[in-house]
Amino acid sequence: MLAALPRKASRRFLSALRSVELPLGQVLYQPGSASRHVYFPNDCTVSLVAVADSNSALEVGLVGKDGMVGIPLALGVLTSPVRALVQGAGSAMRMTSARFGRELKHNPPLQRALNRCAYVAMATAMQSAVCNKAHRLGPRLARWLLMAADRVASDHFQCTQESMALMLGVRRSGVTAAASRLQRRGLIRYSRGAMQILDREGLLAASCGCYEVIRSLERTAGVRVAA
Amino acid sequence: MRAMEIVRSVAANTPKNNRLLAALPEDDYDALLPFLEPVVLPLGMALYESSGVQSYVYFPTSSIVSLLYVLEDGSSAEIAVTGCEGLVGIALFMGGETTPSRAVVQSAGHGYRIKAAALKTRFDGGGSLQYLLLRFTQALITQMTQTAVCNRHHGVDQQLCRWLLLSLDRLPANDLVMTQELIANMLGVRREGVTEAAGKLQAAGLIEYSRGRITVLNRPQLEARVCECYAVVKQEYDRLLPPGVMERA
Repeated sequence: MLAALPRKASRRFLSALRSVELPLGQVLYQPGSASRHVYFPNDCTVSLVAVADSNSALEVGLVGKDGMVGIPLALGVLTSPVRALVQGAGSAMRMTSARFGRELKHNPPLQRALNRCAYVAMATAMQSAVCNKAHRLGPRLARWLLMAADRVASDHFQCTQESMALMLGVRRSGVTAAASRLQRRGLIRYSRGAMQILDREGLLAASCGCYEVIRSLERTAGVRVAA
Repeated sequence: MRAMEIVRSVAANTPKNNRLLAALPEDDYDALLPFLEPVVLPLGMALYESSGVQSYVYFPTSSIVSLLYVLEDGSSAEIAVTGCEGLVGIALFMGGETTPSRAVVQSAGHGYRIKAAALKTRFDGGGSLQYLLLRFTQALITQMTQTAVCNRHHGVDQQLCRWLLLSLDRLPANDLVMTQELIANMLGVRREGVTEAAGKLQAAGLIEYSRGRITVLNRPQLEARVCECYAVVKQEYDRLLPPGVMERA
């Protein structure tokens, strides 16, 4: 995304970024409260979670490498409607919202790049929404694991069963059963929060078509996601 | 819609019946005006097919357009509704070449449309138009994400109330021209589920449903039955859009 900027603008933009470590479970945004920073993950992943009530929530986006947390700020809105939750610990670069707002004003190429990014995020949210409604848990879990692996650019990542259940909007026991089925088929290895994808092709075959749809959206809009 | 009604409503229609257009500063509005052309939007008409190229952006005035997401296996669900408070076709100015969703008229009426290139040029110029459209986009994203979580966790009864209230907020009138079949499609549930839920609301005197027209009789009671998802979306639209956009005439 930053590669789209003219060099001078890019240098100035980069100089305003600070590195930060994000531990698992840290809440970056709460729905309705002001967003103080935008985040560009290096090797962490951040879930965007829509909240229905204290018991029900659902993941509507997963941001990692090459993505940005803080799309509302790019659209001129200072609060986020969703909770942003660190789903895989790691590092990120961040910038204050105020500085980010100033950068955007002077940077039409950046605004355009972010608009595309926002559009893909929205399309991904739509796809996940319908997928959650229409597809069975097994293929959905496979889709989610592939998306998570893309966003850390690695076949190893951390994720708890609680978080997977929250992401997919199901009970924890459902996730446990679905994950063990994938494990028995030799597609993944999962133990104490450490996920490893053993057979990517097999997992792709086990997932619903939504994964490929999301990938191709990202490609057509020029948003790079690590393979 | 009867012939006389159509004649009357066409005559009374101006682009300012779309509250987003009406919220633009006079200069921006005047710049768009020559490019806006009135259109009739009949029930069931598809403004976009998924993965199709879009040529126009639509500003509904007295109709509601539903954004439906279609999966490869043909199943679909509604992800948002847009009426006189907004526009249909954000992919065009947000940089998506094609849209992954279908846009279908779910309550018949009127609107205006503008050629994609004409809007994009003015959007890229920045200023109030860009500001307003980006904020509308964020409000729409909120509606989509809240619809997603609502679809997952709440029952048909609550979803139907949410859907009716969101739709009413986007229409100048108090009734919707539509079929139960369409509602079932919107909510991604079986038709019988909608018939039953609508029957309960009718028996309780909250709505009246007859021959494809739903009239809301008791809005406060409908608001009392709806899940919190409605308020989340409503508050976000109220907060993000200029005064007047979400106010009922």
